[in-house]
Amino acid sequence: MVVRAGGVPMGGEPRVSQAIRRRVLASIAALALAPVLVASRVPRRAPGSEGAAESAFDEIYRGRRIRGALVTPTGPRAGGHAWQVTVDGHPLHLMRRSDGTWLSMVNHYNSYRTSLEATRAAVDELGPGQRLRDLAPGPLGGPQGSMHMGEDHGVRA
Amino acid sequence: MAYVRKDVSRLTPDERRRFVNALLRIKWRGEYDEFVRIHIAYYTSDGERGLRSAHMGPSFLPWHRRFLLDLERALQRVDESVTVPYWDWTRDRSTTSVPWTDDLLGGNGRPFDRQVVTGPFAYVQGYWPIREGIIDALFLTRDLGRAHDPIELPTEEELETALADPVYDTEPWDSTCEEGFRNKLEGWGTGEDSAALHNHNLVHRWVGGAMVGGASVNDPVFWLHHAFVDLQWTRWQQRHRNGAPHYLPAYPPGPRSGQRGRIVARHEPMPPWGVSPDEMEDVSGIYRYA
Repeated sequence: MVVRAGGVPMGGEPRVSQAIRRRVLASIAALALAPVLVASRVPRRAPGSEGAAESAFDEIYRGRRIRGALVTPTGPRAGGHAWQVTVDGHPLHLMRRSDGTWLSMVNHYNSYRTSLEATRAAVDELGPGQRLRDLAPGPLGGPQGSMHMGEDHGVRA
Repeated sequence: MAYVRKDVSRLTPDERRRFVNALLRIKWRGEYDEFVRIHIAYYTSDGERGLRSAHMGPSFLPWHRRFLLDLERALQRVDESVTVPYWDWTRDRSTTSVPWTDDLLGGNGRPFDRQVVTGPFAYVQGYWPIREGIIDALFLTRDLGRAHDPIELPTEEELETALADPVYDTEPWDSTCEEGFRNKLEGWGTGEDSAALHNHNLVHRWVGGAMVGGASVNDPVFWLHHAFVDLQWTRWQQRHRNGAPHYLPAYPPGPRSGQRGRIVARHEPMPPWGVSPDEMEDVSGIYRYA
């Protein structure tokens, strides 16, 4: 068996750096697609849902304003829905698991039934005075650079 | 001649010092933060589109094996005697045992803001600013054992449930697999909170702070933890040598599978390096565990 690991240059080499750069650019492109809000501030049912999930939330949790809305991205990567969530105005990236639960970039290892619960759990991890970093790199979802696109892609909720 | 990765509890004072100094050195050179960025960039969840090379898929183990080798190469360019030690969390289970000593990784975060204030990685020392974090704090954070709702590290028995499974991984090759060595070790379960966390995932949660987020690489315990996870793969291969000790799937999922193009089969290139999982299966020519 051939082991190339020893002979292959490490993370800082151009090929890997280019791959990272591509992913970062893809995320910026995804942000630039300007998702269209489909939800008002008043919580209502998600389109096409079976009534279990809200399509928006807006509340104060442990002194933090958490807001979320189910959005429908437009443009070439349209399709499916995604949650756009902020904590005190700073974006929080949510990711969906194939069992339909949600994770956040702050808490990667616990998953929650709803995006609201995942957002509250992220707040639980924030210390006093700590904020989410703006433009914190999100999970860039593969070669298409799609972000937290859970709804229609292999999810067996 | 293969080098040796040791149990962190058995490092000599000199080995501890050299390991810590090499980490601080590559941090200062800016190399370390590249590892943080790579880990964030390749975290694709299985309810999303895209190829999952690092987590929630069969290549979880070879991806992190290769990732550790890259870190080890960087450390060895600074000090060729250094290898990545492993943290046996089935034995060193307290918040004051190794590796949480002042001559290794420092201790728990303080209750107020979870800031690590002891050891070489404390912000006040000036060597370990967090530049690639999810939150805006510049200091490393930990919450060992999760103070507000305490949890325990995985036990030897729990680790054994993973090692005893003779099959490497099973369909649907994601975080919902209830069978297979890979997910039993990676540790995705179902249910509420800590009941759904096992082995690898539970350790991330137990350390808390930076280790529970996407930028977990910011805490150098990431490497000691993953070296121990990597050791389990080696142990599993040795134990099931006469069974089916190979990485699965052997071939990419078929055209009608929802997992087609989303996982790495045994001979497929694994991003970002392009090595295949089978090339990472036998590393006995590079290193061994003691």
